[in-house]
Amino acid sequence: MSYYLVQTLNALSFSVLLMLTGLGLSLVLSLMNFVNLTHGSFFLLGGYVAIHWIGAGAPWWMAFPAAFVIAGAVGLVLDRFPFGRFYPRTHLMQVLLTYGLSVIFADLMRWGFGADTVSLPTPELLRGVVFVAGLPFPIYRLFIIATGGVLALGLWYAIDRTLWGAAIRACVIDRGIVETLGLNTRRIFTVGVVLAAGLGGLGGALGSGMLSAYPGLDEEVLLLALLVVVVGGLGSFGGTVLSALLLGFVTTFSRVWLPEFANFLSLGIMAAVLVMWPSGLVVRKMRQV
Amino acid sequence: MSAHLNTTTHQAPAPAKYRLGDKIAAGLVLLLALIPLVSGDGFSLRFGAEILLIGTAVMSLNLLIGGGGLVSLGHAAVFGAAGYSAAVAAGSWGAQLPVMLVIGIFAGMLIASIIGLVTLRSAGLFFLVLTLVVGQMVWELAFRWRDVTGGADGLRGFPKLALGSLRLDTPLALYLVAAAIALVGWAVTRSFQRAPIGQALAGVRDQPIRMGALGYQVGRIRVTAFLLAGAVAGAAGAIYPFVNQYIGPNSVHWSMSAALIIMAVIGGVGSLYGGYLGALVYLFVQTEVSSYTDRWQLVIGLIFVATVILMPNGIAHWLGQRGVRGGRS
Repeated sequence: MSYYLVQTLNALSFSVLLMLTGLGLSLVLSLMNFVNLTHGSFFLLGGYVAIHWIGAGAPWWMAFPAAFVIAGAVGLVLDRFPFGRFYPRTHLMQVLLTYGLSVIFADLMRWGFGADTVSLPTPELLRGVVFVAGLPFPIYRLFIIATGGVLALGLWYAIDRTLWGAAIRACVIDRGIVETLGLNTRRIFTVGVVLAAGLGGLGGALGSGMLSAYPGLDEEVLLLALLVVVVGGLGSFGGTVLSALLLGFVTTFSRVWLPEFANFLSLGIMAAVLVMWPSGLVVRKMRQV
Repeated sequence: MSAHLNTTTHQAPAPAKYRLGDKIAAGLVLLLALIPLVSGDGFSLRFGAEILLIGTAVMSLNLLIGGGGLVSLGHAAVFGAAGYSAAVAAGSWGAQLPVMLVIGIFAGMLIASIIGLVTLRSAGLFFLVLTLVVGQMVWELAFRWRDVTGGADGLRGFPKLALGSLRLDTPLALYLVAAAIALVGWAVTRSFQRAPIGQALAGVRDQPIRMGALGYQVGRIRVTAFLLAGAVAGAAGAIYPFVNQYIGPNSVHWSMSAALIIMAVIGGVGSLYGGYLGALVYLFVQTEVSSYTDRWQLVIGLIFVATVILMPNGIAHWLGQRGVRGGRS
């Protein structure tokens, strides 16, 4: 029983990472209908930033904001060029552009940070384990769950309860009207991209203590994040949280029971959900024609 | 009664866009036949065979993307699964060309029909991600099922391709087989696209709801297109391992699917022979670059980005054939 409790906590920490990453991706996807396949690269970049930041001996708690800022800065540059001219283009073109960019980033990071797996030099405070019902559980993962939970709450508040958030949500529904009301939607989009990239980097920084950082992680995370967003339903905060929990738990427990075919199983289950609900779990009512 | 209706039995002239496309295609066919005469060295013939096979896969994907607006990120799984099936079957039954083709076509149709059926109710981004997921499931199988697929190492050392007692392991023979598959595949795909069902597929692409209201079975049309694309890509995939003497999990990975799509875009979405042009350009550049630098992946990424920014309509469009006007997908 206690073993399953520990696995549940494991699943929860993984879900929180997926949720943070998915929320960033979902923001851009539902706000501007823009498919950003470089999101996994932001995640990996954030991981590398955190690892090198702490490795350099700077104060550890600053590593996470640093990852956010650096990934966000990359997002800002990308928003200027070449994303800007691709917002009104087809999904196919967006996919090809951002996939190409993600390949470029992957190679640049392999060049800059090396091809080896590096892991986070965990700070003193977060090292060690707590005993959950008699079994050890890493403190760091509790830290992930707590931080991610707080961040998600903060994001939800910002999107759902502030004027800024209202402007962003309004852009999702009808950009033209928002423009008519005198708001600069282009600037709102830029804020969205930067926030999303920063969230990706932050997720990577948090995750680097759990998943390490290595070339190829960006692709894995990208696939998972895409799944989370799509299964949750576009533009739905609750749906993203729900599907992150689903994917986190399915992945963790299939690793426990079927280590060989864990990924196959979790992909299969997510595909089955998409077959049952072709537009995701939570769907906004839209006009058909 | 209807005699006066039959006064206008005449051959309709082919539309101009077909005529130009056919001229270019005929030129390409000539070029295909001439290549072995000009260059006899094994490397370029093998490379030519590889371009033809991958080009055939790109062309079948082009039927889905250009003809049906179905952007599949799982087409490499169709192509690669056929390759794996042929390689595994060759290991136990020997590599007879007709048997390999049948197995490859069957495997390609199987995977393609799974993708087609699973994505029946999906559109747009959801369709894209679902095809990606199904493709990655095939990759997981290829990567983990070590006993059959050799896992990360892939498969080597299967028998040489043969037809009866005739051995088909010389570069020239492989090239001719690949050219035959390319020609037949191209003819079949072209017939499909011009047949009523191909026209209906274009209707489903542009106005799915209206087509449904007109009584067309949208789902059936989509699955049929998937089956045909799977059969064509499967035939090409079956021969692919014999050209490379190797098949590995990278051939079913979604990065390969993305490469197939970029080849389709380089050639021109909606143009069938454009698939071969795209494969030619992409593979040629990739081979050239990787011999010069270790950072070839960087260059590949740059090719993707440059293609999309500079040449969104592709070579065939530039040659004067009308590409597909893309709305918001």
